[in-house]
Amino acid sequence: MTRLVEVPTSFDDRSFDQFAGAFAQAADGERLLFDAHAAEWASPYGLVGLLAAGQAAARRGGDKPLLTAPTNGDVLGYWARAGFFREASELFEIHGKIPRTKPLEESDVLLDVTPVRAAEDVHQVVSRIQERASAILAVKLGLDPKATMGFAMALSEACQNIVEHAGTGGWVAVQSYHWRRRLGRQVVVIAVADAGVGFRHSLEPTQSKRFGDRWGDGAALEAALIQGTSRFRDPGRGQGLAGIRRYLSRWDGKISIRSGTARIAIVPKWDDDVPMREGLPPFPGAQVLIIIPEQGSATP
Amino acid sequence: MIQRIDVHEVLQRRVSGVYADLVTRPTGRAVREDIERTIAADAQARVTVIDFTRVGCVDYSCADEIVAKLLRDTRVILLLRGINDGHREAIEPVVRSAGLAVVVEGPDGALDVLGSPDAAAHLLDQLVAQQLAARTPGGGFFLTAA
Repeated sequence: MTRLVEVPTSFDDRSFDQFAGAFAQAADGERLLFDAHAAEWASPYGLVGLLAAGQAAARRGGDKPLLTAPTNGDVLGYWARAGFFREASELFEIHGKIPRTKPLEESDVLLDVTPVRAAEDVHQVVSRIQERASAILAVKLGLDPKATMGFAMALSEACQNIVEHAGTGGWVAVQSYHWRRRLGRQVVVIAVADAGVGFRHSLEPTQSKRFGDRWGDGAALEAALIQGTSRFRDPGRGQGLAGIRRYLSRWDGKISIRSGTARIAIVPKWDDDVPMREGLPPFPGAQVLIIIPEQGSATP
Repeated sequence: MIQRIDVHEVLQRRVSGVYADLVTRPTGRAVREDIERTIAADAQARVTVIDFTRVGCVDYSCADEIVAKLLRDTRVILLLRGINDGHREAIEPVVRSAGLAVVVEGPDGALDVLGSPDAAAHLLDQLVAQQLAARTPGGGFFLTAA
């Protein structure tokens, strides 16, 4: 039997829970059909999240999951340019005609969907982003040119969470776009996702006793993002997420992390998200979203 | 008395001949271990200059793995050279949160200290007491050791 998992027509961090809810209903060994034929838009978060779902489905065993590609040519073209199908072809049996892709030079895709499995991959990501991002961060977002290095640092630390904690590989994508619907400003978005062990499992040996009955996905995210704790006893650990927070507070940015059944966010004034949401449909691993908005323009 | 280590050269030799960025824990560990061996090989050195001049990005993990751990464990005084604003952004909070301090030499030779205020004051006193640095009439510090 094949279970249908519908990909939301507008697939981003907001609609991800709907997707996760459908994904969570699948039983082990059940073949999944990820239906994206009606997709009209997907954020980098949606794309890397879909790959994480494919990774998790593969781990459940059974036949390779199916994926119907978007039928809208523009959407299909964007997914291809963003490097989605290059990675998806290893995880899914894809149905639909996949277009050939053009080089990224003129694109707002600052970093196409890139696998992160080891420290070497993080080096490559940081090296590539510095070449492409500085002009966009300075010109389109109005960030101080010096902020590019901080951006690369934040990206490095977000990717390292996969290498250090996930127990499996994951993906990262970075894009700049005009966020008309929610902000009315240009933004740069970093999306990182994996289907690994998640924050709760990673921190359980060192943190669960401290939280007692409160221990769960939400508490684990709080320990990591707010308190800067790490599964390692080394006193210098936990610097990465703290550093990302410092960088984002300077540039009025947002971070949200979804892991298991919870999502935590540092919410800037321009956003109406909630700091913590628990009781979400379970989804493996961790999915990180970082948004840096254009500086100095009118609030929406 | 002063030992000089080019971090970019260590990175290229120990980790990658391609990348100029100090990112990830494994990279930081490999670079630090190389620096520790170099420091250990020169028993006469009292100050080790760690030159970041040709280094691109430094992330928080590498700042901790290299600078904070060297500060905790080495017998010599570390002096960072070639530090730009981006490097500083990673190194300062890491060193400060560890309750440590490190000396940074600016392009004009003036010394600055990054890190926890108490540790910074102690470090400057130590440099002067050991005649490794002297105060300028303007209240700044510069290196006197050769």
